[in-house]
Amino acid sequence: MATATVTETAGPLAAARKRPYVLVFAILAVVTLVELSVYSLGLPRLGTIAILVILATIKASLVVAYYMHLRYEPRWIALIPLGGLALVAVLVAALTSTSAHP
Amino acid sequence: MQIRIGKTEEVIAARIIHDGGTRRMAHPEPAGEEEEEHHGSPWPVIIAVGMGVGYVGIVSASIPMLLVGLVIFAGGAGGWIHQDMQRASSAFYGLATAVESRFPRVSARKLGMWLFLATEIMFFSAIIGSSFTLRLRTGTPGLPTFGGPWATPGQILNVPLTGLNTFILICSSLTMVEALAAIERDDKVKHRIFLLATLLLGITFLSIQAFEYQKLYFGDGLTFTHAPIGSGVNPLYGPTFYAQTGVHGSHVTAGVLALAYVTRKAFKGGFTKENHEAVELVGLYWHFVDVVWIFLFTIVYLI
Repeated sequence: MATATVTETAGPLAAARKRPYVLVFAILAVVTLVELSVYSLGLPRLGTIAILVILATIKASLVVAYYMHLRYEPRWIALIPLGGLALVAVLVAALTSTSAHP
Repeated sequence: MQIRIGKTEEVIAARIIHDGGTRRMAHPEPAGEEEEEHHGSPWPVIIAVGMGVGYVGIVSASIPMLLVGLVIFAGGAGGWIHQDMQRASSAFYGLATAVESRFPRVSARKLGMWLFLATEIMFFSAIIGSSFTLRLRTGTPGLPTFGGPWATPGQILNVPLTGLNTFILICSSLTMVEALAAIERDDKVKHRIFLLATLLLGITFLSIQAFEYQKLYFGDGLTFTHAPIGSGVNPLYGPTFYAQTGVHGSHVTAGVLALAYVTRKAFKGGFTKENHEAVELVGLYWHFVDVVWIFLFTIVYLI
């Protein structure tokens, strides 16, 4: 098989080593503790739901961006999960609509 | 075949350098050279046949057919694992013909994994969405209910225990990504340690979930048809809880099996700095399972 080996430069790997995996882990752990605190504080229900959903979205975004490397992939790859999320938005809209008008 | 080597290939090569890591890229064969590496395998087809037969067995309520499907599936999976264990895990970019493209390339298998994960997003949305609808109908004043309110957070479920389990899954995501980073640095010792740690953390998560299920089902009386006696909770709470966390648990189980495979291959020296794509793909799946749990933990346990 005719192959061409593309050798790397020193730059990219050095950058790869600096990816903030441990920092992201620390944020995820702290946010999880905050979630448990919010749950146990007994705040107004709607406020609790809003805060918890925002915190969960932050955590999920960090995992997808840094651990799943979406931040380092070609941008068009993000269209694939975003396409799935667009359909999820349609589903949620349809479900809440039918739930509000039984 | 007439091959046009031009600017596009230079761009592709430049992008690979930008990507980091040394990668071998299949180039089109000049006329007369037939020494092409074979990327095909019959085993995925056999696996698909097994799943098809098994599915027909399920919908026709035929246990013998389901068993035949499972046997074919297991044989295909075993054959594929055996075949893959014998060779490197190199990224396959397809034939690098000089086709003009606006999109930087990713490997075929990574693209396939992302497409699969997009379908998984929709799968979990359907499961969570159906529970969400039932919950809205049982908890909204003025709407017809199905026999009682939803349980409040912590009323039935053990939130601190599951919080610990959430932390364990987050830890496993860190060890998984560190395993990938280690093999990218050609640090095989850390690569193996981190993979093994991820596997053990995954097994721990499942063990805690099994303990939780056992206590809820047999101890507290949260079954597929009934809420705990005297709680006044809607009987649909149990089945929706088990459906949401159960499909996630089955995905974690699949992830643990995949981790067991790559860990074994890693200990056999199957991955190198240049050839380790299987680790990255299993990692993508594992992190996705973590993301799903982040939302499930919030929706099922905290809200």
